[in-house]
Amino acid sequence: MTPSLRALGYLGWRAIVAHPLKKLFHRRGTGLERFSEAYVSEGLVPTTPEDRAIGEAASACIACGLCEAGCDLARAEPAVRALGLHAAFRLYSRSAAELPLAREALEACAGCEGCDALCPTGVPISRIVRHLRARAAAPAGPRARGPLSYLP
Amino acid sequence: MSAPLESDVLVVGGGMAGAMAALAARGRGARVALVARAPGATALSSGAVSVAPDLTGLPGAPLASRRPILEAAAHLAAARPDHPYAVVGVAALGEALAFAARELAAVLAPPLERRRFHATAFGTAVGAAMCQRATAAGDLLAVGGLLAVAGLREHVGFDAALVAAGLARYAARGGPPVRAVEVALPAVVEPAARALDLARALEAPGAAEALGEALRAALPAGAAAALLPPVLGLDAAARVPERIAAAAGLPVAETLSDVPSVPGLRLQRAIAARLAEAGIEVVRGDVAGAPAPGAPLEAGGRVLRAATWILATGRFVGGGVARRGVLVEPALGLAVQAAEGREAGVHLSGRPAAALTVRDRRAPQPLLSAGLRVDATLRPLDERGRPVHPRLFAAGAVIGGHEQATDGTGLGVAILTGYLAGLGAAGEGAP
Repeated sequence: MTPSLRALGYLGWRAIVAHPLKKLFHRRGTGLERFSEAYVSEGLVPTTPEDRAIGEAASACIACGLCEAGCDLARAEPAVRALGLHAAFRLYSRSAAELPLAREALEACAGCEGCDALCPTGVPISRIVRHLRARAAAPAGPRARGPLSYLP
Repeated sequence: MSAPLESDVLVVGGGMAGAMAALAARGRGARVALVARAPGATALSSGAVSVAPDLTGLPGAPLASRRPILEAAAHLAAARPDHPYAVVGVAALGEALAFAARELAAVLAPPLERRRFHATAFGTAVGAAMCQRATAAGDLLAVGGLLAVAGLREHVGFDAALVAAGLARYAARGGPPVRAVEVALPAVVEPAARALDLARALEAPGAAEALGEALRAALPAGAAAALLPPVLGLDAAARVPERIAAAAGLPVAETLSDVPSVPGLRLQRAIAARLAEAGIEVVRGDVAGAPAPGAPLEAGGRVLRAATWILATGRFVGGGVARRGVLVEPALGLAVQAAEGREAGVHLSGRPAAALTVRDRRAPQPLLSAGLRVDATLRPLDERGRPVHPRLFAAGAVIGGHEQATDGTGLGVAILTGYLAGLGAAGEGAP
């Protein structure tokens, strides 16, 4: 028997017999539990329906910057101010692992809601920022340790 | 809720088209109310007021284009039968531009017979029929000598060397000789990361003057004019370019801007100021799902009633046309037309938006020219080509048939159709 045939045979055994049997008898909790086990250590958390609604609302942003004219981020430090609120949620709202990068900009938001009335496409900016800020601040286990904490 | 706001004319939309319509109707004695939701594409304007590109010009030699604006507009109208210039005619264009320059004299420079050529922040030259006062002295054909492109050391959003290298290409074709210089922001000007904050900081007493002094010290010998980044004040009344020029001892202009655009915000502010000054009642609010002219309309917590309405809600940025699977007109639910020429028809707007693009990058894109179809008096038409309502008019980018963001006629169409819609609305609606 050639080595390649033996390898194929082993793979066939795993795929047809061993793996289905393992799945049948060795259940490891719900999907959410298994997701958490596999990904939370990488800074990824499950997307809730609320997160998804926020993401959809944020996707109407056309990056025109008109909201910046009414934004009190003026009190933030220059690097954060240059990023801007709209850039913060546009760039970082989609990935829980990257959200901490926007934390400073989100925390510099004074909550004045001056931006909402300035958005031509009707993005609920202050609602998005409130939601993302709460998410970024939540001590969700390893996520609080920073985006790349799973690296050695 | 306060008492209903009664007026002769109700304008929906607060950009250039809505403002022109409101001011034209007001000028004829009509009582005018205006509803605006948020700043739109007008607030993203570069600082130039493009009216009609020269279709016969050579792409590589913009400064060689000598065709007068009105002639270029007539040429464009003849070439594109669905363009608003062709639908309403360009006979009143000169009058409309003069009207805009007069009404917005605080921010717009008086028009010349010829087009001016302005530098962009990327070192290319763009011809335009009108421009802002802050841009006028940068007209590449009018600079009588060396043009100094001045970068501000603390403002990284503008690369003076790049702009100077770009403009140097035009030196052999009618442009001025160019040199880049770097100016350190004087201590009295608050350092700012955003162009917006820098523009505000320069408005402060003494700030523009200090920058002018610093500029004067950095200028090369023989400089005839200086070009600065587009940050010269958010409020035209602060006269930032004039103050810098007085302190530096030579004419000063800003380049055109990318978005977010300080010149665009300046134009939007000047429009708001002029509307208030003219006695036009401005209400902040949305009018989605509005009834027809004459019926009470609720917006921003108020009830408005007018026998004549002018729809100037813009295109995709302003929200006058929206993509919700298919193309819709959200304010009144009017029929949207996509595509041009023989293919044209309201049926096309029912297609998914992605089906309305064509592969050839330079070909007209039906999606980008989608909008309302209007008759010669600017009344929107329904699917069968009949006016929707005798007292409903449309103006600006909500009218289809032109790619307002790219074909070089955006603000020109807004000014012409806004002016004519305002006159038409006041014609029978005024007491």
